[in-house]
Amino acid sequence: MFKKLLTKPYRYFLIIIPILIFLGFLIPLRNIRINPDMTRYLPQETESKLNLEKIEEIFGHNDPIIVIFEADDILERESLEKISAIHDSLTESAIISDVMSIFNTKNIRGEDGFMLVDPAIKDIPEDKAQKEELRKEIKNNPLAYKLFVSEDFRYSVMIINPEKGYSDSEIINTTKNIVNSIWGNEKYYMSGMLYLREEIQQKAMQDLVILMPIALLVMIIFLYFSFREKRGVILPMLVVVISTGVSMGLMPLLGYEFSIIAVLIPILMISVANNYGVHIVSKYQELNATNPNASMEQIVLESLRCVANPVILTGLTTIAGVLGLIVHIMLPAKQTGIVCSIGISLALILSLCFIPAILIGMKKGKVNRSFKEKSRTVIDKILYYMANVTVNKPKRIIIIFLVIFLISFVGIFRLNVSINNEKMMSKSHDIRRSTDIINKHFGGTKYISVLFEGDIKDPAVIDEMNELEQLLKSKEQTGSVTSLSSIIRIMSKALNDKNDEAYDKIPDSREAIAQYIEFYNMSGNPEDFEKFVDFNYTKAIVNVQFKAENIKEYNSILNEIQKFCDNSKYAKYQAGISIVEKDMAMSIINGQIYSLILAMITIILLLWLIFRSFRTGLLGTIPLVFTIVCNFGLMGWAGIELDIATSLLSSIALGIGIDYTIHLFWRIKLEIENKKTLSEAIQICLTTTGRGITINAFSVMLGFSVLFLSGILILKTFAFLIIFSLLLCLVCALVLIPAILMMKPEIIVKNIKLNK
Amino acid sequence: MKKQIILITVLSFLSFNLLNAQDAKEIVNKSTKAILSDAMEMTSTLKIYDNKGNVRTRQVKNTTKKFADATKTIIKFLSPADVKGTGMLIFDYEEKDDDMWVYLPSLKKTRRIVSSEKSSSFMGSEFSNSDMSKPKMSDFNYKLLSTETINGKVYYKIETTCKTAETETIEKFKRKITYIEKNTYLPFKTETYDKDNKLIKTITMTDYRLQSTGKYMAFKMTAENNKTGRKSEIIITNLVTSSSLDESYFSTSNLEK
Repeated sequence: MFKKLLTKPYRYFLIIIPILIFLGFLIPLRNIRINPDMTRYLPQETESKLNLEKIEEIFGHNDPIIVIFEADDILERESLEKISAIHDSLTESAIISDVMSIFNTKNIRGEDGFMLVDPAIKDIPEDKAQKEELRKEIKNNPLAYKLFVSEDFRYSVMIINPEKGYSDSEIINTTKNIVNSIWGNEKYYMSGMLYLREEIQQKAMQDLVILMPIALLVMIIFLYFSFREKRGVILPMLVVVISTGVSMGLMPLLGYEFSIIAVLIPILMISVANNYGVHIVSKYQELNATNPNASMEQIVLESLRCVANPVILTGLTTIAGVLGLIVHIMLPAKQTGIVCSIGISLALILSLCFIPAILIGMKKGKVNRSFKEKSRTVIDKILYYMANVTVNKPKRIIIIFLVIFLISFVGIFRLNVSINNEKMMSKSHDIRRSTDIINKHFGGTKYISVLFEGDIKDPAVIDEMNELEQLLKSKEQTGSVTSLSSIIRIMSKALNDKNDEAYDKIPDSREAIAQYIEFYNMSGNPEDFEKFVDFNYTKAIVNVQFKAENIKEYNSILNEIQKFCDNSKYAKYQAGISIVEKDMAMSIINGQIYSLILAMITIILLLWLIFRSFRTGLLGTIPLVFTIVCNFGLMGWAGIELDIATSLLSSIALGIGIDYTIHLFWRIKLEIENKKTLSEAIQICLTTTGRGITINAFSVMLGFSVLFLSGILILKTFAFLIIFSLLLCLVCALVLIPAILMMKPEIIVKNIKLNK
Repeated sequence: MKKQIILITVLSFLSFNLLNAQDAKEIVNKSTKAILSDAMEMTSTLKIYDNKGNVRTRQVKNTTKKFADATKTIIKFLSPADVKGTGMLIFDYEEKDDDMWVYLPSLKKTRRIVSSEKSSSFMGSEFSNSDMSKPKMSDFNYKLLSTETINGKVYYKIETTCKTAETETIEKFKRKITYIEKNTYLPFKTETYDKDNKLIKTITMTDYRLQSTGKYMAFKMTAENNKTGRKSEIIITNLVTSSSLDESYFSTSNLEK
């Protein structure tokens, strides 16, 4: 088949068509857009997203920037003056819709028969006595203390809501410019989903622009040192460039938006796509050295004959692994699976058609030095040593692997899933610092709203809201709970004296509640209520702010609210960005499990088909199971959380890592067929094929190592873990599998006989 | 000679602007005087619409009169039933914070409110409190932009801008354009613009009726929030011009009646 394809005129088609396809796929790349909105990673029909949408439709969409100011004492005249100036400048900006800070929160209270309504800070204190007086006032003001000023008076929070129709970067830049110009060099921190989105957007774009060329350069250098011949670099790189370009072009073409993990796509493609071409070039160089009289056509066709089968098989298993991601629930994971499996398929086809089509038209190259010199490299020495140990002490090796396996297995129980999106950034990042401060001093970064339905002015409804509020306030994790019932209680304290019966109580008549609300509408800002109750007073929400470090802490609050909703007449459901986040975490776990199972089953089936033996298929999965357990075990022990990026890696690692075992089986089988003993077969295999797969594995690891330069923490972690996993797959293939075979030779020997 | 020409040009330019500003201020002054504002008792229906067309309807009785030191107002709810009787008494001083009392029938008591915070919204509607009161003309600059004919009537198009940044912050607008009818000096429409020169609110005043005092009152006022799509409407159902009201009428005991 190859012979016919590689003759004129087909040969030209094989060269021109991929180039045209590549150029065609570059066009949609102009529409590349990164979507850093994590909530869109979940399918639209997810219940938590639908609930959030329903609540946002009534109570408006909230997507504020949070700025935290730090000072030795926030009540110092200079600090307050600056915060006030920032508040005013932001309020005046056309981009900002409203600003909430210590300067526009109120101080509503009852005193000596009066109801007093003042701003929380009426005047900036002039001296120490006034400052201490203000401190006392703030400590007694539930609308300011621990909401806008921290308990230790070191931090003050400003919540900035942008106008609609402006981009995240416009909003962030305006805010930063105003804050920087007034706050000067003093410390401040920014937080909020909007800010995180903007940071991800910028860092992901930077990564795409910087990492891609670096990865390509690394590959070029690696290929040059491997082959020391121009064609050895250019031909595999052409495959890499075309298949990576097509994969990237497919994204906008299929209507996919670039997510934070889309940065992985080009890096994955650059690392993996050269694998197949390398085998062709390597074999060509080998045959060129050993058959000086053969023609170029003979060498190319013979190279194809020798390596086509293992290349196709390893290609198929890699595609199977990556394709496992299509059952992932998170959309970017699914999309990465689809795009990369198409890209890798193309790389496989190009390596078998495009490279030979060009190679066959070239003159014979110089013989590679490494084929002339019989010197042993470090890799050769290590492999030789490994082969000796494996053959002589298989039992000891198996025990060592077993111990590592068990230790790792225990670590899995310590594995956590990430529920905090800000953990995408490094610990020193602004957003991590601000999250720490908010969790420690301001009641947490998680928000949930509980929807109540009914006649909201009915005391029974308000009573239930109050009940939920008190229930949640009793929990340690809860920061603040606010609703119509809390406002009514504040008003009841201001409208009544301490010894009055109605003081700090929910009134027991509908009229009284209606009058409290009407009075507030008359004297206050009616928009204050719109955050809690709809226009017709048929729906209202209780807003809960809390902190949660892990899924267990999350669930303890969510389950409490759910239990309340189940037994309540008026509380209907809970919604909020934090529940969407939790659903994302669950989707990461489930997606991880589904994709892993699919990848595993497909790979077992492929191995079964390739080696026509179910037992060999199962043996082939041992390195995979070992790698997965060690990977999750390491994550558990090291406290690395499962996140959107790390949930992709096991499927990808399996797909790539299985190649090493396939090459190994293939060679051992061949040597046994050539009447070698098992020990001899293993020794030959490790020092020949072993060398090839080691170099191949290191090239892939080198490709992924570029991600260490990423500005996004989870991508760096991904790089570390995938390199660790690939290394394990390699070690398993080179050491564990031969050791098992030495202990149970019938697994492979018997099958050879059977096959014959 | 050349210098003289320049001087004449500059002077004539200045005098044109001065004339223009005076004209505009004069028109606004006449317009303010044409409208009833000193003393009245009125019953009105306040309709507040949200951007989906839902409506809240309140019937309110509003009595107001200007005295030497303050404008005094009693507002009482007539409907809906659950808030009937709820009232507020407000003494609006020029130079100091307002005095306010609230009466909630469910508590059966009047509570004095001391507030340094002035609500910007008039009874929770799209009208602001300053929309409902007479502006202090010395705080603003006025400019006659042009005249415009709408439905056969000629209107002065007057631009109002705040003199100081402080006024801008309090009044929450950058500039306003008011259409004042040339013959009667009655304002028909006011458009409010923000700092970005975006239209944020449109108020229209229609159904002007001549009162016994010789002044006019718009029996229908609409405020449309151009940003949020919300709308509020005040329709006066009964109006009595009562300059005879005694200052003692504006007391807490009257609020509780």
